Parts: sequence; C-alpha cells; structure tokens
Amino acid sequence: MLETLTVIATLAAGGDRVDLDAPLVGERTTVFRADEVHLGDGRVLDGGVVFVQDGVIREVGVGLEPPTGAHVVEHDGALTPGLVALHGFEGGGEELLDSTRPFLPGADAATAFNPDHPDFTRSLDCGITAVVLSPPASILCPGTTAVVKTAGAVVVSRRAQLVLGLSTSALKADEFPTSYAGALAALDERFSEPKGAFRSALDGELPLLVKISTRSQIQRALGFLTRHRLRGALYGSYWAEEVVDEIKASAFSVICTPSDPGDDGRWARSIAALSAAGVRLGFGLDAPGRHPHCLRFGAAVAVREGMDPGAALTALTGDAAAIAGVGGRLGRVERGLDADLVLWSGEPMDLASEISAVYVDGKRVRGGER
Amino acid sequence: MKTVVSGLIAGAVALGAGPAAGADPSQEAAASPGEAEVAFDDATVLAIRAGRVLVRPGVSVEGAVVLVRDGVIEAVGSELEVPEGARVIEGAVCCAGFIDPWSALGLDASVLGDQSTDAATRTADGLDPYGVDHLLAEALAAGVTSVRLQGGQAAAVGGLGAVVRLDPQLSATEALVNDEADIAMAVGLSVDGGMQLVQLPDGSYSMISGARAVDPFDRLSQVERVVSKIEEGRSYLEAQVEYRHELEAWELGIAEKLKESEKDFKKAKKARDKKVAEAEEEGEEYKEKKYKEDKKPKKPKFDAEKEALSLIADGVVPLVVEVHRTAEIRNLLAMTARFNRLRLVIAGGSEALHAAEQLAERKVPVIVWPSLRGTERFDEFDGAGLELAGELAGRGGSVLLGSGGRDGSVTRDLPLLAALTVSHGFGREAAFEALTLGAATTFDLAHRLGSVEAGKDADLLVLDGDPLDTTARVRHVICGGREVVHQED
Repeated sequence: MLETLTVIATLAAGGDRVDLDAPLVGERTTVFRADEVHLGDGRVLDGGVVFVQDGVIREVGVGLEPPTGAHVVEHDGALTPGLVALHGFEGGGEELLDSTRPFLPGADAATAFNPDHPDFTRSLDCGITAVVLSPPASILCPGTTAVVKTAGAVVVSRRAQLVLGLSTSALKADEFPTSYAGALAALDERFSEPKGAFRSALDGELPLLVKISTRSQIQRALGFLTRHRLRGALYGSYWAEEVVDEIKASAFSVICTPSDPGDDGRWARSIAALSAAGVRLGFGLDAPGRHPHCLRFGAAVAVREGMDPGAALTALTGDAAAIAGVGGRLGRVERGLDADLVLWSGEPMDLASEISAVYVDGKRVRGGER
Repeated sequence: MKTVVSGLIAGAVALGAGPAAGADPSQEAAASPGEAEVAFDDATVLAIRAGRVLVRPGVSVEGAVVLVRDGVIEAVGSELEVPEGARVIEGAVCCAGFIDPWSALGLDASVLGDQSTDAATRTADGLDPYGVDHLLAEALAAGVTSVRLQGGQAAAVGGLGAVVRLDPQLSATEALVNDEADIAMAVGLSVDGGMQLVQLPDGSYSMISGARAVDPFDRLSQVERVVSKIEEGRSYLEAQVEYRHELEAWELGIAEKLKESEKDFKKAKKARDKKVAEAEEEGEEYKEKKYKEDKKPKKPKFDAEKEALSLIADGVVPLVVEVHRTAEIRNLLAMTARFNRLRLVIAGGSEALHAAEQLAERKVPVIVWPSLRGTERFDEFDGAGLELAGELAGRGGSVLLGSGGRDGSVTRDLPLLAALTVSHGFGREAAFEALTLGAATTFDLAHRLGSVEAGKDADLLVLDGDPLDTTARVRHVICGGREVVHQED
C-alpha cells in the first residue's frame, strides 16, 4: 500500500512540477560531482554525478557528461540527501498542545508553527533539510503531523501521519479515558465505524505515528494495531530491545526517541537490535528541547553499538522520508526527487566530518559555492 | 556483541594503583619507536600488532608491535619480534586510552554535590565505583580508560581531585592513579533555586531543580576568595619555609655551642671546680653561671586546608577553577598574575574566547565541555557550544575536552563529543592530544599515561580506524595491562 502511495506522491511531486524527460538546459543545471554519492537507500556511488535543474534531481549516475554551460560543483567528500528529523515541535511549542479532549484528529500541525523560529535555522546548520512537526501525544489522538522544509519553513506535506498516544501520558486522572484498556476501547470504537482520518488510516492512505514507551505498551499497542491491520510507525525505541521480534512481525517502522549525551546504554542497544532485525528505522529529534545535532549524534551512538553506518544514514534519510510518507519527494538522491543535498568533508556518519554545504531545492543555503 | 573480559591475562594482573609508579620519567626518551632489544622468556607478555601505532600526538609508526608486560608498556617498534607464547591482539590502529579530565564517573553522588568541602577534602575518599559497573564498562568500550574526578562540584572550594582507572575489577583504592591531582574551586556558578514545576514539550509536567545565577558583585567577590585562598596557601608555605630556616639556624647554633663547650670542657671544669672550692672556703654559696639559650623557633600550627592550599601556591598541583564569564576570567587572570608558581587551569570557560589571548599568553589550559543542548536550557553555562574548543585553539590556547563533571554517564560519550568539536573547527590532532597526552600532562601523569611509549602504563585502545572517526569501532581496550573490552561484530 505504501509503495503505491509513494508512486503517486512521486508523480504529484516531481512530475507535476517539471517534465523529467525534457532536455536539460545547461545554464539552468547544476552538476554535483563527489567522491561518494550516498543515494539514501544504502547504496553508494563512488565518483557519482548528480544533475539538478529547477530544484529537482534530473540524473544520477557515474561518468555522466555535464551538459554544456552547466555549473559544476566538484566536491572532495561525500554527498547525501538532506537529513529528515521525524518527530519534533520546531517553531510550534505550546501552539501544538491541546489536551482538553481525547480526540482531535482534525488538528493539523501545519497550521500551528512559527516559520521564522530559530529552530529551523539551527536544524539547517546540522544538515537537517526537513522536519516532521507533530502534535504531542498527550491525548489519544492529538492530530496529524506535517513535513516542513527547514529552509523557508515550506510545508511539503500536511496530514502526513495520524498521531495516536498509546503511552500512559495520554491518560488523564479526571477525564475519559483514565485507563489503558479504556483508551483502547475508545480507539476500537473509532476504527470500527471509521470516519475522516480514521477511515484514511484504515484504507492505508494515512500512516500512523503511535507514541508508546514501555514494553507492555509496545505489546498492547501492536496487538491493537495489527488487529485493525493498521500501518505506520511506533514512536519510542528505548524499551524495544526485548520485543524486537514482535515489532518485526508487525511490519511497523520505529521512530527512535532522541538521545542526549550520557543517555542509558539501553537506548543504543535497542536501536542496534532493531536495525539488525531489519526493522525500518528513523530518528526523532524533539527540538527545541534538543540540539539538532542530537539527530546524527544519536545515530552515531547506535553505530558505536554495532549498527551499520550505512543503515544509520538510510534511517536519517530515505527511510525517514518513507516513514513520513514523503519518500517520493525527499530522502533519496534519485531522479525526480527534490534536490535537498548535503555535502560532507568525509564519511557522513563520522561526527568529525564537517558539513561543507547544504542545498535545498537545488539552491545553496549553507557553505559551499553558488 | 560486547563482552567485558572478566578473566585475567596470565601475569598481567590488575596491578591497578601503580604498575609504573616507579617508572623513571627520563626513560621516556628511550621509547622512540623502532628500537628495543628486550629478551622475553615467558608467556606473561601481551603483544599488540597494529597497522599503525599512534605513539603520541603527531608521531605514529606503520606496522608496529606494542609489547606489554606486568601492566607496563615494555617496547614499541616496527622491528620488534613477538615473543613465543605471548598473547597477540591484532588491529588496524593502536593508541593510548582516552582520559576524561572532568568527569563524575564513579563518584559518590553526595560527595559530588557536597557544598561544605574545603581544599583538604579528598575526592579519593568519595570514590564509589561499585554500583556503576555498567557505566564503567560502557565508558571503557567507548575508549575512555581513566578520568579525573572532582568532589564538591558546585562548592566554592571542591578540594583535591583524583585520577582513577575505570577497570570495574579494581577496588576504589587500586583504581587510584593520582589521589592529589589538583585542587578545584568555582566562581560564578548558578546556585540551586529550589524545585520548579516545568511543562515539557509533550505536555507532561516535571519537577526540576531550578538554577539561579549569582549577582555580579557576588561573582567578583568569589574571584577575590580564590585569590585569598591562594594567598593563604602561600603564607602558610612561607611560614613553613621560614620555620625550617630558623630551625636550621637554631640547630646549627646549638651544635656550635655544644662543640665549643665540649672542646673547653676540661678547662671549664677545672675553673668551675676552683670556683666551687673558693666559694666553700669563703662560706658562700656557689652560683652556677647562667647561659642564655636561644629560644627554639616555634613550629607553625598545622592546618590541613592551608597545607593543601600550599600545594597550589607552590605549583605542586594545578588549581582548576570552574569559571565561565569573561569578566570573571579576566579578573582571575589579572589577580593571580603575581603568583608565579601557580598552575591555573580553567574548567568550562564558556566565554573564554574574549580572554583567549591572555589565556594563551599565561599558558592556562581550558577544559572545554562540549555539549548538545536545545535552545531551552536551564543554566546558560551548562556545557559549551561545539565551536569553543576550535576557537580557543585557533587563538593559540591550550584546550582539553571533558564531560562536565556532573553526570558520570556522559564520560562514555566524550569521544563522540570530541569528534563533533573536530567538525566545528578543532583540529583532529588537537582533539586527540586533548583526550590523551594533553590531559595527562596537565595533571602531571605524562610519565604514566597519554602515549604509547616504553615505561608507561598499558592503557591502550585497538580500533578499526582513526580514534576520532566515530564510524571506527573500538575492538580491544587494555586498562592497566589487562584486556577489559573485546568487541566483535
């Protein structure tokens, strides 16, 4: 189902805006040549070449001849897709928070943020070109997420995911539902006679983002979600270590909770175990509480714990975009996708590598030339 | 995936407290790579064969062997033969274990937060590494083999710091590498403002202790307090020195008089006997001639705190001052300039950039705590930005990197934070030196730690690649000659 969606999204994104088969106009083309081009799906092209025109990636390959008159950016280092942070409150703050009712499926995060917030600028400094704004899961269904580009705070996708709060922080002491069982019963009701967002979720058009925390919450949530044949991602990886098999069997992706220096070792062990089991992963950030560098720092901690650096980069790019439902537009270096690119001085997963330049929609927004 | 080796390597038993305590620092010169003629006749030797040995910052040997015996590096060189029966570890890169010069790992929490410490308080007495085995193991697996700990983190005077090894098999005493590494003080730190109810971004509430900044006059008087403490130490030291000189002079005087009186003893006795007889004849009482003896100099009163403070005044140990604001750093530098033996070290130094030239000129190292904090931070000086290390080094400053001395678990992530400083302008070599020989030198342990040279303690890492490349994994960790970590895929 998701794959079908991806194809539709690709058509809607790249296809609508530019004719990918029209001949390239040299003067309007930027050509990137890098030692390594990381495609965002785990593949790496040594000495790769990327053609960008009108903000969209037009060709990707090795040994491609630049069209006459094209601007060529030679990069001694790696080129990757821009990083995608999967869960945050950037520029939103309390605007996103409404805990007066248990169900607010119509609340749209895209309507509740300040586009001039410094969080976006800071994220861009760290190579993050898109963030997923999420209403906090402090109620059962706080609304839908929005995918926003950090350059200019452009909304790429609204109603990207339907958020469900299935951790105990969604339960109130004095307001329905007050118990976990009550919460599941209420959700059962919504999904049995689905309307609106719940209908879309059941039809596979709207992926879920399900906030959980403990092992029992993961198990109970997965039980509920698989019973209704729902798809999407769990947000909360800390306790996943012991329930990796159940998560793998559910086909749910996992958005890793962000990490700060000094966090418990279990945090990284869970992620390394999920990755080893082949669960699709992405990383949350939860800015502004955290520094945007925490996104890649967390991935590096998981790499230290044994996660493959290539898999970590995929979790920060291609898989992250796919989890947010925007894999047809962001997250990979591929013909037809947005030219959101980061140039690194060395290995992208090496924290000692510098960000040499960041391009969004083919335009340089940090460092580099032109 | 990860195992902390629990067995002991034959012979290379955890000697902990000081396998190389007697090592002569002058032997360092003999450690130049490539030369060593050592005869081996037993199986107590550990041999590390590495594609590249980072001997010390700026010096490396391709294809070299490091031989370890009894917890000490015996030889390093490319021509060395591996003795028969030696345990062999192979890897791409071998370097010295990392040192976190500002850590809280293994320190009892109450000692860390103690506000009543003074200069004589010994951090070594507050070690409690027993409950945190997993943190020690994680830090070792990340390549950190020793740390400097400091009790009384938020106190005005924190007391004597300690450098310890992280090997969880060592007792608190065995783990001590240096129990008088430094004396620490603090200026201008925020004080506890009590508990506050704070709403988190996810809507939940949490009670957190609030920070409250001290006012500018308080902060300036805190600089004066540091200076008066150094002064106390110096006066005490001067009084001690004066006493020793006076005592020496007095003892010399007494000795001379004794010698004199011994020499003329017979003559004097005769004269005395004669006088006694004369007195008897005249029926008078004989009066002994009175000698006025020089008064013995009085020993200055012993004062444990002043005794400790004299160590910094005399430059025996460095004085580490946690200070962040430009004004206080400048004042501190100006007011301590007259203490020519003082070895000042700045911890934190969030705004040290504005005093960078003075710091470089005075050769004052700054222990930078690189941190990742969001825009919403509690105390503005809770960790510095990632650029500070590179900016200070760029102005000629000496920079170390530490994990902040508040939360022991951050020590494990210091190598990753160091890598982030490299991507923010700090040289790769400079960051490596900060984590190894730089930290060892600042705390007078360069004869034991910080480089891969004969005679030094065997605290070694074997990695897949460059020690600051975060995609290179640490495969083996040797701590005090014992293999404490062995990680396979």
